[in-house]
Amino acid sequence: MLTAVNEPIDALVIYRRGAPHPLLHAFRWKDRRYDVTSTHLVHREREGETIYLVYSVNCSGDTYVVRHNVGNGRWTLEALEAID
Amino acid sequence: MSHVILHVDMDSYFASVEQQACPSLRGRPIGVTGRPTERSIVVAASREAKRHRVGTGMPVWEALKACPQLILVPGNPERYLSVTQRFVEILKEYTALLEIYSVDEAFLDVTQEAPKYGGAIAVGEEIRRRFREELGECITATVGIAAGKSFAKLIGARNKPDGIGRLDDEEMPELLESTPVGDVCGIGRRIEDRLHRAGIRTLKELGDASEAFLKREFGVYGLHLHEIGQGRDSTPLVPYMEVPPPKSVGHSKSLPPDLRDFRLALIVLRDLCDQVARRMRRLGYMGRTVHCGFRVGSIGPHYGKQTTLALPSDDGEAFYEACHVVLEKIPVKPERVSNIGVSVGNLVATDRTPHSLLETDRRRDRLNRAVDRIRDRYGDRSIRLGTSLLVRPIPQHVGGFFMASDDLEIG
Repeated sequence: MLTAVNEPIDALVIYRRGAPHPLLHAFRWKDRRYDVTSTHLVHREREGETIYLVYSVNCSGDTYVVRHNVGNGRWTLEALEAID
Repeated sequence: MSHVILHVDMDSYFASVEQQACPSLRGRPIGVTGRPTERSIVVAASREAKRHRVGTGMPVWEALKACPQLILVPGNPERYLSVTQRFVEILKEYTALLEIYSVDEAFLDVTQEAPKYGGAIAVGEEIRRRFREELGECITATVGIAAGKSFAKLIGARNKPDGIGRLDDEEMPELLESTPVGDVCGIGRRIEDRLHRAGIRTLKELGDASEAFLKREFGVYGLHLHEIGQGRDSTPLVPYMEVPPPKSVGHSKSLPPDLRDFRLALIVLRDLCDQVARRMRRLGYMGRTVHCGFRVGSIGPHYGKQTTLALPSDDGEAFYEACHVVLEKIPVKPERVSNIGVSVGNLVATDRTPHSLLETDRRRDRLNRAVDRIRDRYGDRSIRLGTSLLVRPIPQHVGGFFMASDDLEIG
């Protein structure tokens, strides 16, 4: 079960040619760097004119859900699921 | 030269997408639901859940009885649509003759393109490989290949999940002989029962039946059935860029137990009218015929009737008033309903409809368009009818994953 976090984060992304969306490489949350080891899924959501990209990623075995507001460039750690 | 049609069908689609997004769900029986309560239904079951005989449309209580370890996951339509957009983009690279049949199914006519890839099987294999690489290892598809849409779908269904199958011409006689009529897409339970009563149980028997009999029983559709029975299917693909205009626009809602009181269902109906009107304005249509109906009990009878407005409209309030006229016509007056819906037909393009000269209508139109602009900018929930706030709160999902505190309540 995911635990809600909803806290702003800094993100390190790569804009790769031909990729449908920027690739999330790493993020910083609470003064700690999290390197993305794999991306499970990226999907697009829309609220009015605002478009979000929602990343479900793996960092050292834990799953993190990160939301990117494409309009204002903000990144938010939305939820996480740590290994038991 | 016969056509080469590919039917691409995603396997356990919604459940696979959830398993892709959340690795802890992989390899476990999951059921995607509207709301994870016992009174909801399973919209999609994972392969693991299907092994426990959990099926689509099964009530949650029944699914939990069949598979006590079933994990219920609330559906996230935006996530599925987003993945659909991506797999459609992949399919567009193979042919322009692409029909998007549903959120998880598509037909491709690759008659011209297949030789370039080394044959239809090679095209199908490449599509499946790209899905795995670009969408994720859990999101798999089954490909059926045949000369017509119905047979491509049929052969795909026999190779599920994560498979590929082709129907060659020489295999057709055996397929017709061994396939029950109900296995073909487009032959539902009622048509199947009528065919059974006429002694027609297999496709071969359907092909052997007289064309005149089938036409008399099923009208023009009988001719299509006869063609299928003879191993032919000339149903054309409807390419995605040539989607025909809508015949009607409608919304219905299955109500949670708390909202089944008829008085509360009317509040939901008002909201549905608003949604229908907004969609019509977005599509650029106005409509005259308003159909409204409800269902009594979970599997009880459905009652519905329609009325025709004096002039075409795209106003939710006008539709709601018409619904009241319709509800008055229905002799049954239940205290509780499990489903309520509205649809508007007899559509005409807004730009071909004369503007009303009445100031009240013009004000209403300006108001609707102002509300549309607000919703376009800030989202559909940014401005709502006051009555809809009597039902609160709006269910919230976090990335599509259910949080225990979220539920629908009466305000």
